[in-house]
Amino acid sequence: MKKLLPQRQGFTSCLKFFNKRNFKGPKTCFIFCSLLFLFCSSSAFAQVAVTGTVTANTEPLIGVGVHIKGTTISSMTDKNGKYSLTVPNPASSVLVFTYIGFITRELPLKNRPVLNVNLVETATNLNEVVVVGYGSQRKKDLTGAISIVKTGDIQKRQATTVAESLQGLATGIRVRGGGQPGSEAQIQIRGLKNFSGTNPLYVVDGLVTSANRDFNSADIESIQILKDASAAAIYGSRAANGVIIITTKQGREGPMKIAFSGKSSVQTMPRYDLAETEEFSRLNYMAYDNSNTPRQNLDLDINTNWQDETFRTGNTQDYNMSFSGANKDGSYYVSGGYFKNKGTVISTDFNRLNFRVNTKGTKGIFTIGENLAISNAKNNEMSGNPIIDVFRMLPTIPVYDASHAGGYGYGDEAKARTFGTNPVAIADLEDRINENLRLRGNLYTELQLLPSLKYRFNLGYETSNDHYSYLRKDGSWTLNQSYDPAIINQNRGQSSTVLAENTLTFNEKFGQHAFNVIAGQSYQKDNYAQLWGTKRNILANPSGGYYDVLDQGNEPQTGGYKNRVDLISYFGRFEYNYADRYLLNGVFRTDGVSRFGVDNKFGAFPSISGAWRISQEKFFKASWIDDLKLRANYGTLGSSNIGPYDYIAFINTFSTIPMGQSQTIQQGSTQVKLSNEDLRWEEVTQQNYGFDAAFLKNKLTVTAEYFISKTKDVLIEYPLLISTGNDGGNPFVNGATLGNRGFELTTTYQDNSRLFKYNITANFTTLNNKVINLGYNKNRTFVGNTVTEVGSPIGMWYMLQTDGLFQNTNDVSNYKNSQGVVVQPGAMPGDIRFKDNNDDGAITNADKVVVGSPWADYEMGLNFGASYKGFEFTMDWFGSFGSTVFNGPKSVLNMFSDNSNYLAGVQPWTPENPNTDVPRAYYGSTINSRGDTDRWLEDGSFARLKYIGISYNIPKKLMSKISFSNAQITLSAQNLITITKYTGLDPEFSNSSIFEKGYDFGAFPNLRTVSLGLQFGF
Amino acid sequence: MSVPSCKKDLLNQDNPNTLTVEQFWKTESDAQKGVNAIYAMSFQSGSWARWIYFRLDLTSDEGFSNSPWAELADWTRFQYINYNFWEGNVNTYRDTYKAIFRCNQVLTYVPEIPFTDETKKTQTLAQAKFLRAFYYYYAAILWENFPIVTELQNPTDLPNKSTLSEVWSQVEKDLIEASADLPEQWASSEVGRPTKGAAQALLGKAYMQQHKWNEAKTAFDYLVTGAGKGYYGLVNYQDNFRAENENNKESVFEIQFSDANKTAEGDGPSSNMGSNRSQFFAPRSIGWSDGQARNWIIAEFKKEKTINGQIDPRLRYTLFYPGLEADFGDKTYGRSWAWNADEAWFKKYSRDYMRNNEDYFNQINNRVIRYADVLLMYAEALNELGSTAQAYQYVNTVRTRANLAGLALAYPAIGTNKDLFRERLKTERSLELCGESVRWADLKRWGDLDTQEGVNKVALRDPDFKNFVVGKNIRLPLPQVEVENNTNLVQNPNY
Repeated sequence: MKKLLPQRQGFTSCLKFFNKRNFKGPKTCFIFCSLLFLFCSSSAFAQVAVTGTVTANTEPLIGVGVHIKGTTISSMTDKNGKYSLTVPNPASSVLVFTYIGFITRELPLKNRPVLNVNLVETATNLNEVVVVGYGSQRKKDLTGAISIVKTGDIQKRQATTVAESLQGLATGIRVRGGGQPGSEAQIQIRGLKNFSGTNPLYVVDGLVTSANRDFNSADIESIQILKDASAAAIYGSRAANGVIIITTKQGREGPMKIAFSGKSSVQTMPRYDLAETEEFSRLNYMAYDNSNTPRQNLDLDINTNWQDETFRTGNTQDYNMSFSGANKDGSYYVSGGYFKNKGTVISTDFNRLNFRVNTKGTKGIFTIGENLAISNAKNNEMSGNPIIDVFRMLPTIPVYDASHAGGYGYGDEAKARTFGTNPVAIADLEDRINENLRLRGNLYTELQLLPSLKYRFNLGYETSNDHYSYLRKDGSWTLNQSYDPAIINQNRGQSSTVLAENTLTFNEKFGQHAFNVIAGQSYQKDNYAQLWGTKRNILANPSGGYYDVLDQGNEPQTGGYKNRVDLISYFGRFEYNYADRYLLNGVFRTDGVSRFGVDNKFGAFPSISGAWRISQEKFFKASWIDDLKLRANYGTLGSSNIGPYDYIAFINTFSTIPMGQSQTIQQGSTQVKLSNEDLRWEEVTQQNYGFDAAFLKNKLTVTAEYFISKTKDVLIEYPLLISTGNDGGNPFVNGATLGNRGFELTTTYQDNSRLFKYNITANFTTLNNKVINLGYNKNRTFVGNTVTEVGSPIGMWYMLQTDGLFQNTNDVSNYKNSQGVVVQPGAMPGDIRFKDNNDDGAITNADKVVVGSPWADYEMGLNFGASYKGFEFTMDWFGSFGSTVFNGPKSVLNMFSDNSNYLAGVQPWTPENPNTDVPRAYYGSTINSRGDTDRWLEDGSFARLKYIGISYNIPKKLMSKISFSNAQITLSAQNLITITKYTGLDPEFSNSSIFEKGYDFGAFPNLRTVSLGLQFGF
Repeated sequence: MSVPSCKKDLLNQDNPNTLTVEQFWKTESDAQKGVNAIYAMSFQSGSWARWIYFRLDLTSDEGFSNSPWAELADWTRFQYINYNFWEGNVNTYRDTYKAIFRCNQVLTYVPEIPFTDETKKTQTLAQAKFLRAFYYYYAAILWENFPIVTELQNPTDLPNKSTLSEVWSQVEKDLIEASADLPEQWASSEVGRPTKGAAQALLGKAYMQQHKWNEAKTAFDYLVTGAGKGYYGLVNYQDNFRAENENNKESVFEIQFSDANKTAEGDGPSSNMGSNRSQFFAPRSIGWSDGQARNWIIAEFKKEKTINGQIDPRLRYTLFYPGLEADFGDKTYGRSWAWNADEAWFKKYSRDYMRNNEDYFNQINNRVIRYADVLLMYAEALNELGSTAQAYQYVNTVRTRANLAGLALAYPAIGTNKDLFRERLKTERSLELCGESVRWADLKRWGDLDTQEGVNKVALRDPDFKNFVVGKNIRLPLPQVEVENNTNLVQNPNY
């Protein structure tokens, strides 16, 4: 999985350079120091020549430092991994092998003339090759902030999308979502750079795309997350939200390897604790009685558990098989996968079929290769929102009611006044199927023009055929529903992306000066087209279903549209490395995009970064530090995350009106949406400071980063005044400046020296966002219950403050403002007391204040791994602390003003039971159930065991008898334990509105998943 | 940077889907389409498709809401808590400005378009003026201090606040100009567009609200005694609320609805052109039942019999009520009375007479201004001007169609007493026009809501008025978000 870059030639000349200067290194434990003493032996004792080869996983390691403990005698390995050393005291000498990124080994020589050594990488392998966009670097040479996620960690988890599986495995990224079959997760790298979206750029095998639900994560060879400007700048205009680079697997040299993995899991939903009929009716009568409303005739014989009816145990099955191999002339990797997810909500499921063929061939200086994936994903989508429907329905409503069209029970004016949707009915009466067939791949050729100069041409292509089908059957799912006959809607879309790239890579070393230069050009074209048709009164078939084709029915409607976006780019990267001590990177990219007007099409995005391996300096004496690298960078990224034609004002030609005595349809045309014609690139400038350090013989590694980013000209659909008459969404404007600053720390400790091996990684992220200015010179903007103000974070809670309950009429009449005006004269005992913050003697919108932040103070991940003989144990925790969130479902469950089910055990205020924070139950008025108060805010902190798993590797001896090379069984669980005070279903919910990130509107929760996996190869 | 020109062309992608604003507004046909798009605003939910009836009919003492959706119901009984409540306030406010934007586009661009027939041009502009005045009229009724926008807005513009009298001046100006250029009648294929008579009637209504009785009378003269007289008359009462016999002689201005597009409302292709009113007002288990009628109207109808000793036939077409089947033999959507004995539902514009359910695609035109309304307003203006005796004939025209005796015969005590006549006229209007979205403006015009005493009287008919705060609830709050985002605005008094 991990590749080692061959050391560049010219090392010896570097050493000579040091010798000439009579460099004297420190005595021990100074990474690389021993490399410098190759020619320094000059002793006169009885000497024995010792030789050997240093390898890592059978591959020779070049440039490994070898020295005799307690002496200055040293050597280093050559390009074949061989070393030789003259040892003065062969019986008692101890040889020390050191190499960056590997665990230092000390071996007693014991008079052996040949000593071969295998070195093991540290958990954070610094020699790992990191794909950085149009090329790669060794991890130890990185100057920017790049997280590398171990694909093993990802593939252990049961997730539909790559994004969903990344949480807690890298610093600075925040992932929310998943749960529903086929749902896409949201991912956010280093905070909010803008308002228009947070999803990063995905680059799969060089193709800019999205690693969405139809991408098979089993094919992933490596994932790199480019987090800062210097790292991401090579992707210029599309990198403002960070870049996730995915490389898929290639065949490895050797005979064919066949690998199989199968995983099966069981999923369960968290549930509300809801009242049953007895408790519900008692509370409901109380709410009616308090408001002097005649009670409804609840059907007390019925006690429906809507959660039992709607939720079920889900499961997944995930099978993958691959065939791979290579020789020196070529390689192949062929894989197939099948994934199926039966949802935890009735009538939802998802399945996916994947095929991949990656091949490569080389002849002389010419290389050609391709990566091609075909996938088909089919999602049976959820109708309605069962997370809310299960409590909008009363327990006294039967699931089925033959007297209703369609045969389902729902609200009744006399017996159960609710407009709640019967989730069982809508699941049956509405079918939504979303299916797509995607082809994604690239074809590339490389010419090694000179040993140091390579030309590469990359042609990428991606296309997806999307088919959405909606069938509405005859029947009702809610009270007083308007009549609709059976309706069918068919929607077909096709997207395609063509990418053509030319790059030249120059890689050379002059003495201690190593250069790597890339220059390139790229052109990308994205097309999308859609067409749809709808018909009503479609024909029922005799077996109870419908002929769900557009030939049937009447009253046809059709539509369709197409889009195109072109992007032309030129880019380059310059890497300079002086003696592995000084590292300098410069990146430049210019992008031109059709999304902007003539004068604003091109944007330039430069970045510069440097690193200093201070531990290589001769003055560096801290022998307890094995490696220390300081990094700093500065760069600019862009974003044009807007529609293809947003800078142009258009005419909406869709209006139709009936006119004349015969009501003939006439056409209308008008401008509906305003536009800002001078739209230009949004720009993120970022500074990043960090260090990488290794201690205790590389057992302990620490990486820390501090970053400051500022996004100006943020492209935002800033709310316009209603008086503009604008509709169809607010037009984009370069309308805000946002600041983000954050600190990220990753610490790993590992001990692989004994039979019991273990490692612990803790990561810590803190992030602050602040609005520096807002669109159209405004100071603040309101969205829902939030305010976004200059100088503060986005989307702060802005609400009325509650101040307990009135216990008696004296409380009411004594609650006065400073002028002696009774503030809530109409209140009754048991009603909520609100704070009259503006002291005007009345509770109005002007009393609203900022009452909390939806943003976490910090987030943490803790990953623990251990192995003993054939057993492996892994545990990943994720925690988020300090956010204030709005419990939307609870604001409905406990409102009493409208009929919904209630949380079991809720204690509304009564004269007999005054010790409660729930106001008196009151039906028919929102007096005590306003949604815009801090009553529904809760602490959103949580810590969660995201993953726990134990694997057993069946001993190789046993396996070889049946000619298997390896086999592993894994039992694991996800989201098993959650520690939180939040009373909603899941504190780890997602909301796609940037202004209302902390509003849980009844989001689909994360699921508890228990999986059993089997992997074997032969 | 030098970029090859062919590549620059790649970056200039035209939208393959539609015209740009720059490419449009060039031809007569463009002008026609531009003005047509204003009419399409009637089909949007904040406008005449849905929510405006909650403001005009349910807020008045004719109607109320018993909706389980508490916030929706609160907004029909003066419990305005969240001023940003979309269905109760913002949607209608937004759609009003959307319509004004469309009018302003026509009035900005069309003067520059060359027409072969100049009359067609002035008629196009006059339609835009009429429709702009139409939307400002209802803005004046609902919010009163509604910021006037007569020019195309940039995203950065912050319009100034406007007073009610400024809004009325704008309405008057547009209508006077529109009236001058609108035809007295349209060709058959264009019937449904506003005529000169429509402009005069709306102008009269605007004057009436301002108690400019003389100007109002003058405006109505055109329809009642003047050049337009011959175009108007009364038809069978029920023909005013049905899909058949639309745009008849009684229709002064009528919103044209159609069920040709059974899709969602909005600005997308093939959007709904129907009204949702009947779906929202139909009785429980037939429609959403979010709005219903106060039952005092039934009693009011039954106070006076026709000259044949029958129940006022208008009741049959005005309400669904418990005695409907006994009184007239009519069921309600094919059902016998299945609702409470003290309930009633609005029947006008319902499709009970042709089907047993409702949906969002009601095709029945809304007769926003009909001639009977004009006659009663004419009578009201005359009475206020002291010509009470002269006013009788116009009330009688309306009463006669309902087979009622002449006013003087039926209520001899009124005589020429202005106040008694006005009080009787209030009843006459509710009997003739109940559920036709005029009552809220009537209550305001009569000053019944200006004093606590007056409000108490109204509250006897509609207890929701117990929540009414004099000086405050006479107008809606402006959407809070607009007040916060436009620093030139101030919220309406006492909100």
